[in-house]
Amino acid sequence: MIQCEELEKRYGKSNVLTNVSFQIEEPKIIGLIGRNGVGKSTLLKLVAGHLKETGGNVQVFGKRPFNALHVAANVILIEDKMSFPPIFTLKEILLHAKRFYPNFATELAFDLLLYVGISEKNEHMQLSKGQTAVFNLIYGLATRCAVTLLDEPMNGMDEAVRADMYRAILKDYIAFPRLIIMSSHYLQEMEHLIEDILLLHEGVVELYAPLEEVQQMALRIVGQKEEIEPLLEKVHVFYKREQSPLFEAIIENNGLEIPASVKSQSLSASEVCKYLTSSKEGTIDDIFK
Amino acid sequence: MDFNAQSTTPIYIQIAEWLENEILAVRLLPEGKVYSQYQLAEIFNINPATAGKGLTILVENEILFKKRGLGMFVVADAKERILATRRNHNLTKMAQEIVHEAKRLAVSDEELITLIKQIQKEG
Repeated sequence: MIQCEELEKRYGKSNVLTNVSFQIEEPKIIGLIGRNGVGKSTLLKLVAGHLKETGGNVQVFGKRPFNALHVAANVILIEDKMSFPPIFTLKEILLHAKRFYPNFATELAFDLLLYVGISEKNEHMQLSKGQTAVFNLIYGLATRCAVTLLDEPMNGMDEAVRADMYRAILKDYIAFPRLIIMSSHYLQEMEHLIEDILLLHEGVVELYAPLEEVQQMALRIVGQKEEIEPLLEKVHVFYKREQSPLFEAIIENNGLEIPASVKSQSLSASEVCKYLTSSKEGTIDDIFK
Repeated sequence: MDFNAQSTTPIYIQIAEWLENEILAVRLLPEGKVYSQYQLAEIFNINPATAGKGLTILVENEILFKKRGLGMFVVADAKERILATRRNHNLTKMAQEIVHEAKRLAVSDEELITLIKQIQKEG
């Protein structure tokens, strides 16, 4: 469905994506993760055909998305800057949606809007930040596009609405499986929902793997310095910290035998992503030395 | 639901354990049909693929079996199988803890074995 090969995007002199390669062949829910400014939105815009790549190539349904009608009709990108015609009310926007997206679930969209308590008489411009995000997400979900790209869809929503919207995504996905790529800073919040993680870091794909694999990638070990230090020679170390009398380290989980006197625990996927993309310039503690 | 996305136990293992508990509680019957991965996804609010992985482990462990086109079913002696595995697993874990504690307290092997034998006699 989506293929990226050595995809590159430069804005003027600054290189956002330098060499992005990955392939997605089947409908699933994917979490797009990465630090601020790493190019998550840029990647989604390239896939949606809203931006033109500056190198490499990207294909959606076997076609280059930029200026491709077939791609535009089957891909929706939901982002907070989305604009709708300012003269229309929400009701009119939803009623016209089927003209652009033949599978548009008009009834579902109205039901969801009523449920979250947003009046269909509003204009899009009048909505609060949170309401705008809710409406955009409802619109995106209702298009039932084969490729649904959600860029930080939950930004600005309160916690209760977020939980409801995650549930709505899951329910509609089960009923109508499609490829959903969702970017977020809050991996932990959506860990239950996603099947694969696509992690961007420094312009490339740092990791593209099933969630369960990511959860098993790293271990936190805590114990005495004499016990921990010899272990660290045998594996890749993501992080270590000595807080006398204890020594803590985050290491790659490669089946290394950990002595029973050392406490070990696997990390959550969001912690693994955090350590994989952490600054190489030390930790925040170093600034306050 | 007694399931926790923040736990360090992967969700699909928690799903497998939940299904095992349902079998032990006889809420899922021998030879009976089990929830589909989509039903589990809705019940626990998780990705259907994750739920599917939970079912797959139980098929691998011969607790469930697949009937083509009909779904997953509980093996006739599933309950006994679960109990046997858990017994082995839990007992091994406890024995490990006892051995470590004994080491910490400088209790010798002979003393430990004598202690266990004595408890067995009293029990």
